[in-house]
Amino acid sequence: MANVSKKVSWSGRDGDEDDDEDECVGETTPLLNGTGPGAAGGARQLTPSSFLRIGQLSNVDLNEDVSELETELPRQHPNEIPHNEKLLSLKYESLDYDNSENQLFLEEERRINHAAFRTVEIKRWVICAMIGILTGLVACFIDIVVENLAGLKYRVVKGNIDKFTEKGGLSFSLLLWATLNASVVMVGSVIVAFIEPVAAGSGIPQIKCYLNGVKIPHVVRLKTLVIKVCGVILSVVGGLAVGKEGPMIHSGAVIAAGISQGRSTSLKRDFKIFEYFRRDTEKRDFVSAGAAAGVSAAFGAPVGGVLFSLEEGASFWNQFLTWRIFFASMISTFTLNSVLSVYHGNAWDLSSPGLINFGRFDNEKMGYTIQEIPIFIFMGVVGGILGALFNALNYWLTMFRIRYIHRPCLQVVEAMLVAAVTATVGFVMIYCSRDCQPIQGSTVAYPLQLFCADGEYNSMATAFFNTPEKSVVNLFHDPPGSYNPMTLGMFTLMYFFLACWTYGLTVSAGVFIPSLLIGAAWGRLFGISLSYLTKSSIWADPGKYALMGAAAQLGGIVRMTLSLTVIMMEATGNVTYGFPIMLVLMTAKIVGDYFVEGLYDMHIQLQSVPFLHWEAPVTSHSLTAREVMSTPVTCLRRIERVGTVVDILSDTSSNHNGFPVVESNPDTTQVAGLRGLILRSQLIVLLKHKVFVERANLSLVQRRLKLKDFRDAYPRFPPIQSIHVSQDERECMIDLSEFMNPSPYTVPQEASLPRVFKLFRALGLRHLVVVDNRNEVVGMVTRKDLARYRLGKEGLEELSLAQT
Amino acid sequence: MAPLRCLLWLLSALVLALGPAASAGELRRPLALEALGEAEGLVGELWGAGLPGDLPELEPECRRLLAAFAEGSAALTDCLGSHARPVRLCQACHHHYRRLLEQYGDIARAVGNSSESHNCAKSILTSDRLQLVVTLSEFFNETWEAANCANCLKNSSEGLSNSTVEFLDLFNKSLTCFEHNLQGQAIYLSTNNYTEVCKNCNETYTMLNDLYNHLQRMNRQGGESGHSTHLCIDVEDAMNITRKLWSRTFNCSVPCSDTVPVIAVSSFILFLPVVFYLSSFLHSKQKKRILILPKRIQSNASLVNIQEKYS
Repeated sequence: MANVSKKVSWSGRDGDEDDDEDECVGETTPLLNGTGPGAAGGARQLTPSSFLRIGQLSNVDLNEDVSELETELPRQHPNEIPHNEKLLSLKYESLDYDNSENQLFLEEERRINHAAFRTVEIKRWVICAMIGILTGLVACFIDIVVENLAGLKYRVVKGNIDKFTEKGGLSFSLLLWATLNASVVMVGSVIVAFIEPVAAGSGIPQIKCYLNGVKIPHVVRLKTLVIKVCGVILSVVGGLAVGKEGPMIHSGAVIAAGISQGRSTSLKRDFKIFEYFRRDTEKRDFVSAGAAAGVSAAFGAPVGGVLFSLEEGASFWNQFLTWRIFFASMISTFTLNSVLSVYHGNAWDLSSPGLINFGRFDNEKMGYTIQEIPIFIFMGVVGGILGALFNALNYWLTMFRIRYIHRPCLQVVEAMLVAAVTATVGFVMIYCSRDCQPIQGSTVAYPLQLFCADGEYNSMATAFFNTPEKSVVNLFHDPPGSYNPMTLGMFTLMYFFLACWTYGLTVSAGVFIPSLLIGAAWGRLFGISLSYLTKSSIWADPGKYALMGAAAQLGGIVRMTLSLTVIMMEATGNVTYGFPIMLVLMTAKIVGDYFVEGLYDMHIQLQSVPFLHWEAPVTSHSLTAREVMSTPVTCLRRIERVGTVVDILSDTSSNHNGFPVVESNPDTTQVAGLRGLILRSQLIVLLKHKVFVERANLSLVQRRLKLKDFRDAYPRFPPIQSIHVSQDERECMIDLSEFMNPSPYTVPQEASLPRVFKLFRALGLRHLVVVDNRNEVVGMVTRKDLARYRLGKEGLEELSLAQT
Repeated sequence: MAPLRCLLWLLSALVLALGPAASAGELRRPLALEALGEAEGLVGELWGAGLPGDLPELEPECRRLLAAFAEGSAALTDCLGSHARPVRLCQACHHHYRRLLEQYGDIARAVGNSSESHNCAKSILTSDRLQLVVTLSEFFNETWEAANCANCLKNSSEGLSNSTVEFLDLFNKSLTCFEHNLQGQAIYLSTNNYTEVCKNCNETYTMLNDLYNHLQRMNRQGGESGHSTHLCIDVEDAMNITRKLWSRTFNCSVPCSDTVPVIAVSSFILFLPVVFYLSSFLHSKQKKRILILPKRIQSNASLVNIQEKYS
């Protein structure tokens, strides 16, 4: 709660918005709420509905919340509040992980024989191999382009600095560096902000949500991939405190989603392959394989990738899927490895399994003794505290960004400023540093001499004047004495704030490498001071402390456990490090969780995503389905008038996606027994093909609708507005019994929240119908109804729904 | 008596040869010790002459090769040691090194009478645990590799390459220049003021520096396919010494430190975000979220109502 109150006081004039929203709104937006809170004037009803219509036009598939009758609208008292973390956005829909077992599905299954299913299985493997190969190639592309562009930039700046060191006028070098950075980042930020905002950030929270079952608009589109890849390249070349590893996971996921569908709606190309997989369930499995392949390409950690998918994403898991995902991961790292080996000129030695290689940690000096384990645990504590600090600062900053810096131009300007400041800070640090190291025998890529004697280079420049990946590896492996403690301390401090400031900008960039870098810097500092304090040679090599520090810091920020341990272990290539790394990450997580939650979870929450955690909140057994559900429900009759269907679908105030189908009953006031469930997408396809009873009777319909027609429309079903239904057709009837899911999952009203939650989460449902004991529909539970209960600091909290 | 003594010597010699563990017994030890010197000579002769039977032996040809190798390695070690500081390895010792390589090659390779030579390789290189010849040769090779001497030798490694010669000439020239100017200075200046040196030798020093940088660049480009990016140790060390003299001892390279403009520019840039955030805080309209009230049963009473209505 401390953070929230801090945030509130910081945002100044808004006062205590959490306690008294109405008052605050009345102060800040007098025009909209002039009549004051609580009063239900006529003007107030117009405002929200007009707003809703605007929202509707810009984004047609807005909301899946359960339907209510149109006449219910006056009951609403729409309020405007500043963005806060206790909201659920209506923007996000669920994915349909539940298979609709309607008659079409059964027919298709009957038609496809056993052998055909075997080919489907083979196709799955082929797709996984392709995912692996393409992810690896994309990773190679990013790596090679970044290496060359960054090399070019650093050479230009270095030449400039060398020139002006002799003659004077270093301020021009500073300007050059800052301008170069800012302009490169500007391009990167413009493409993200104006073309595809969902490509911002590392993409891990988005993929996590997707695998959780939330449909984030545009998240797995080809356009997103292109923007993501270009954006990452530009932001790394632009010298921001970012890495290119996190976005690989998103890229892998997009590749997987694209390949498994056998077409691209962005390019309007349909290859007519893999049509069987055009369903949310199948796509989800491939996306988890893609995410794993991305991790694997980023860190050279195939097992870590699989475990990442397991830990972060897939709520739905089975043995064969694991094996396929592992296959995709292995293929991905192998592809990257072989292509990069060829690129680096030593074709067959396969020496670069990931985008970042921690280098070899297997020599004598790098071993650890049992006495060091308490020290490592202490480092875990430090990492947890620093990680919590990082997250808290970033939370504060993100809240400010969401509230005030929401216009794309402002976002671009902010990114440019951060880039310029990053360059400036780097330059000033290098300028002020007097830490010179002999140039001989060192592996510095771009040694900057500056004020050092001839033949020496500035040690600060190895940390700042380099891509972050290289700096990490330098910190791990440079021989003892390459950095003096002052340099490391200043570097840690500066980089900590820079990285914290950078994460959440509208550029695509990951947080893995900056975290590792911060951790490696203070870890190395810790190692040096340890050997200084004890004057003992056991602690000789600060490299392993740098590694542990990096693990602790990363664990403290992202709070991943199992997968991160394995990723670090695989990246170092040393299994004996598994134990200390595990301890460090555990400690960091425990300590960090005491203060704030992990960075990714925090961002998911700030985006108001209805995310379902593993379990329902522990103290929620007293809540029953009756209290959780939304009611009343818009139901359709089994044989429904087309006009009614169209009206329900085009009703902007209740943009629902699932409609229970009840027995046809002439008396509309009565709710009859539940017969099935039909989705908005299915209704739209039906309307589009005009599958009306009258037309069938007149034998106007050339052929029967097949499951293929539904798949072809997936995943971008046309909006209802684009479907033209004439007045005559409105009077026709539509028979839903063939298309609805005849056996939707239902719960009785008395079911407790954890029970409902478990059913919902484990089966990946989208709609759960609540029925009474006569099988009559009383309510509907959707994702947002469940996600709004959360365990806060003071017990169970309820989030409010909001239009974002 | 003579044959008997001869036999005794032989025995003790064998004992010595087979090692102290197989001592011939307490009684004979004084005698054996006494005869030590003589015995060694004899054993040497015996082995050199090629003892018949199953005793280990070395062909005279192999002995010759081994001796040559021993001599060559001694010479190379001597050379390496004496040119360790300041480093002149590659210039001074490349003849020795090449010769040693040849000698080792002679032992290892099958030259001339193949079967005999093969025998040599086997008996010299691999017949014991220590394999001293191999170790020595490996040591020299590694040192040579580490020093990266191949870089400043001609391709066929017969003498220094042209660029290296040029560099060393320039190096000597600048050293002479330093010396010359220092001598002139020492007469009337006792302080650390070396402005004279700096002024007079600047040209040579810059040339040297430029040449070094040029060599380095060439090397890096050429070494794209290979692995080494270092120049050879002689050149590196020479340059290092000169640079140290130049910038540490003489304090000649005083870079212009223009702190004021740098501070001005950087504080300007650092100030920009403050302006940006303040202005966006003050002028940008805060984004509002519209709350949607969900439709749900608020209390049990309303639930009862709804149920009644529906039923």
